Amino acid sequence: MASPASTVKLHNRSVAPEPEPTPVAYQAWLPYWAVLEADFLQVFSSWVYRSWILVAATMAIGLFIYRWGLYNEAKIIQPASHVITHLLRGILMGSVALVGVIAAGAIAGERGSLADSILSRGISRYQYYLGKWHGRLLAILLGHVLLGALTVGGTRIILHEDVTLEGGMVAIFISGAALAVVVSLGVMMSAMFARPLAAAAGLWVLLYAAGLIFGAMPHSIPTPEWILQKLPFILKGEYTREMVVQVVLYAGGASIGSAIFGMALFARKDL
Amino acid sequence: MAENAADDPVVETVQLTKIYQNRHIALNDVTLKLERGCVLGLLGANGAGKTTLLRLIIGLHRPTAGVAKVFGEEMSPNSAELRRRIGYIPTNPRFPKGMTPISYLDYMAKLFGLPRDVRKPRMGMLLRAVDLLGAGGTQIDTFSNGMTARLAVATSLINDPDLLIWDEPTHGLDPEARRSMLDLIKGLSREKTLIVSSHNLNDIDEVCNHAAVLSHGQLIYSGPLHDLKSRMRRNHFEVDVDGDQKAVTRALATIKALGDVQHVSLEHRRLNLRLQEDAVATATLGQVFQVLSEAKLTLIGIRSVGQQTEEAFLDLVEKEEQRGFTRIYRQAA
Ligand SMILES: Nc1ncnc2c1ncn2[C@@H]1O[C@H](COP(=O)(O)OP(=O)(O)O)[C@@H](O)[C@H]1O
Ligand SMILES: [Mg+2]
Repeated sequence: MASPASTVKLHNRSVAPEPEPTPVAYQAWLPYWAVLEADFLQVFSSWVYRSWILVAATMAIGLFIYRWGLYNEAKIIQPASHVITHLLRGILMGSVALVGVIAAGAIAGERGSLADSILSRGISRYQYYLGKWHGRLLAILLGHVLLGALTVGGTRIILHEDVTLEGGMVAIFISGAALAVVVSLGVMMSAMFARPLAAAAGLWVLLYAAGLIFGAMPHSIPTPEWILQKLPFILKGEYTREMVVQVVLYAGGASIGSAIFGMALFARKDL
Repeated sequence: MAENAADDPVVETVQLTKIYQNRHIALNDVTLKLERGCVLGLLGANGAGKTTLLRLIIGLHRPTAGVAKVFGEEMSPNSAELRRRIGYIPTNPRFPKGMTPISYLDYMAKLFGLPRDVRKPRMGMLLRAVDLLGAGGTQIDTFSNGMTARLAVATSLINDPDLLIWDEPTHGLDPEARRSMLDLIKGLSREKTLIVSSHNLNDIDEVCNHAAVLSHGQLIYSGPLHDLKSRMRRNHFEVDVDGDQKAVTRALATIKALGDVQHVSLEHRRLNLRLQEDAVATATLGQVFQVLSEAKLTLIGIRSVGQQTEEAFLDLVEKEEQRGFTRIYRQAA
């Protein structure tokens, strides 16, 4: 076993030297996992994340109660897929704003002496970026799946309405893919700007510009608006495999592309 | 991990230059070589560029021009393997919120890729060595300056590095903590190569054998420490005398007239004596004692007045600029 110093003396204590028989077998990807784990836990305990979950969950529960009351009092039946679409839409829009803030804080939020103490160790900028990116993705997608499951499950169990289980899962999956793009772009912005607020502002400008460009495009590619319009049908189980594959391909491509761009940039940046 | 030839310098910078935002030249054309086993004191006033140089060496910054090599290989932000052999302490280290020394050290050890069976025993050993074993589970937020400094020391040793880069490790420490920090550096210098930056010459003087002096981003000196010290000649003395007051006043007038004396004043029975820049101190003091002896005064004591280190620096910097630092620089290289 190696010892950091054969004689470290401080406060009149000394540590006896130890022999150093074998060289250390470094674990090449351990730094990545360490950053990912730390980032995941950090996001999980942050107030932005908690308020996101809280606000979205409250919205969902509020709507359930309203609809349940409506059903019991007036026997008015609305197709559930409509409600959920509205809900998911609201949750997604609200989520994009908050998730943008969470993602934009990934790297920019650590700038200064904190990032120093991490990046001065045996970790490359690439691994740090990957760890941060995946940490945020994991935390946010986990939150999204929880919220989605709450919404879909609640509707099916409490309101017994026309949402199929499979359709619900696909809807959560597809909207999650869209959210992943937002997270990836946010982390990319986070690597480009020195302050979280500037990164968030940059992300919103980027998303707004993307929205304008998508609006001018034919509906042959799955734009966010197109996905939102399709959600009621997806929830009822009316979707094709190709559609899902296409969304995943586009979302994956956008996410990975932005990450590669962000990493290339971050690797040449001063801290 | 490539083990390089033992004769490669541990750190080598070639014409290293850093310009911030195309506006501020923080480091200009620094060429420096550090051999294995050296303890280099990096000196310079605040804003001289010490931190910039160290951050370039550790790969937190990218040079605007020139290269920084560590263990014979060029350092870059992605040189994870090179940094495995370096232990770094930034000025005023800060720690993530809500962590304890144990969780922090474990995190840092993971960032080096150290497997569990290496990092766990090391953590315990280091916490004991820096006397933080009892506080191992306490939140770092509650720590005193001395305790955070000790934790930073333990962190910089977790990877058993060959090269230690400590940026102003004595900054903000009380005398006792500063004392143990200097002792620690002395102990470590027996087997590691060290770079310790400071704006305090006394600290460097005590623990280093080599020195590099930065001024406004320029390297104005690099070489053995004792050579540097011999450049900072002392020319300010206090002489305590006893005897007849009139004789003292008379002697004062005579000393004032001596060619190499720049300034002399009397304060009770103490002569405050400042020699010309280029005076030979022994010769001038000989003349002064001659005068005192002729005036039948008794010598009670003589002291060379230590300049404030900050002042000594500025002095040195000024002197070197006047003489043309390029000459010194070539000599030292
Ligand atoms: N990130 C930065 N951007 C712009 N200027 C900087 C930056 N870091 C340092 N400087 C400037 O560069 C000069 C050298 O700074 P520094 O290396 O920190 O000096 P020292 O550590 O010797 O006090 C200072 O004038 C400082 O203001
Ligand atoms: Mg500094």
